[in-house]
Amino acid sequence: MDKKIMDYDVVIIGGGAAGLTAAIYCGRARLKTLVIEKSLLGGLATYTNEIENYPGFPEPLNGLDLMKLFEQQAKRFGTEIKLTDVKGIKQLPDHTFMVETFRVDYHAKSVIIATGGKPRLTGAANEENFLYDKGISFCATCDAAYYTDKEVMVIGSGDAAIEEAMFLTKFASRVHVSVIHDEGVMDANKVAQERAMANEKLHLIWNTMVAEFRGEERLNCVVLRHTKTNELIEVPVDGCFLFIGYIPNTEIFKGLVDMTRQGYILTDERMETNIEGLFAAGDVREKGLRQVATCVGDGAIAGVSAEKYIAENEYLDTRVFQNKLPVIAYVWNPTDTTCRELLPALDEIGRIYKDRISIVKIDAYKSAHMVERICDKTQAAPPAIVVLKDSAVQGIYRDCLSLEALQKIAEEFLCGARSLEC
Amino acid sequence: MADYRLDCMGEACPVPLLKTQKKLSGLNIGDVLIVEIDHSCAMKNVPEWARKEGHNVDIEETGDGEWEIYIEKTK
Repeated sequence: MDKKIMDYDVVIIGGGAAGLTAAIYCGRARLKTLVIEKSLLGGLATYTNEIENYPGFPEPLNGLDLMKLFEQQAKRFGTEIKLTDVKGIKQLPDHTFMVETFRVDYHAKSVIIATGGKPRLTGAANEENFLYDKGISFCATCDAAYYTDKEVMVIGSGDAAIEEAMFLTKFASRVHVSVIHDEGVMDANKVAQERAMANEKLHLIWNTMVAEFRGEERLNCVVLRHTKTNELIEVPVDGCFLFIGYIPNTEIFKGLVDMTRQGYILTDERMETNIEGLFAAGDVREKGLRQVATCVGDGAIAGVSAEKYIAENEYLDTRVFQNKLPVIAYVWNPTDTTCRELLPALDEIGRIYKDRISIVKIDAYKSAHMVERICDKTQAAPPAIVVLKDSAVQGIYRDCLSLEALQKIAEEFLCGARSLEC
Repeated sequence: MADYRLDCMGEACPVPLLKTQKKLSGLNIGDVLIVEIDHSCAMKNVPEWARKEGHNVDIEETGDGEWEIYIEKTK
């Protein structure tokens, strides 16, 4: 079966808070945008029963409901959504990207990785046997009702663990919480801790971690190990929820983009990875706080950066790299008086050498990146004149720029270019 | 190679996953199972399980909150 190839301006991998926000920005910039999500749109936020700290929503709301609004907004701006698994991503010789899926390869000018994270496993014995609805769960919102009047265990003491444990007490008859720390110490926020301590259905088991999961078809017992005494504690339960953090979904990008040892993608403040035109946003990125609110910020920046990257490339491709005429590129900074004063001279050169030399202005203040693409940026601090022929830099001039100097540069260049042709 | 449909509409976790596992085990390699679901929880575990098993999975949103999960059995 021949694979279909489809073209987009931007392909966003991952349909969580960061991906959908990037999609809103790209869609609104009229870019042909595709979001590829492997299953359910909304990302990890859909695993949260109540989101209380996302600004603009003073009353707590369900993660799924919040993300549904993100989705609607992205769709309103014409974003296309495809629910499938990305197998890999390649950069092509022309610097565009190929995002590979089962049936289709998506060709894109820019790609935003927003693949987020997935729940961390404990690594305890027999864990694998009880995944996928056999007793170990990562989503209280999804599975709480199933455990009505049953006993469950929660592993972890962070915000997610304690808040979701509280939610589970509305359904389960008893909720055991295995906390790795000493008595009274939890990683969750103070409000959650206080509520947890006051909840009679919660049973906190301090200084413990999971040693083993036991059961027949389904899980029926979690064996905890006391971290100090090594004593094994058998707790009969009907289900167990793991909230011990997340690991980034970056396996398929290994070897392509720079990451931390833990697998989080490194970006600059424009959300760009080590590869030009390839951006990362949200939980998948190395950063200090992973929340819907921070994902939204990342997504907005990544979306705008991708848009800018595409626009700048198109400008450079048509005006500089594919230009048949020799190019005089003026690297300038509009906030600088000297730079502004040279503009009339440049326009005059444009008139004198019409059809012989092409004048291109590059705003170094807004697009330092574009300067980098045409020459060594350190040698072309504004105001600077960069002379190019067939994409190759012929000279960089920074001193005594004036109409006379510019004309001299142009004449020398045209003569030189002509003599080269002879 | 044939297509089969599995109606899981109105069914909550873990039923869709259990039904999918059972139905898929009886199919031949190359067959495609189309699971119809309308519970978002099933969107979290059915595709993930099928992919982990090595099958090819694609999903179509057929309506608001309704999906068809295409699972091509590979082994």
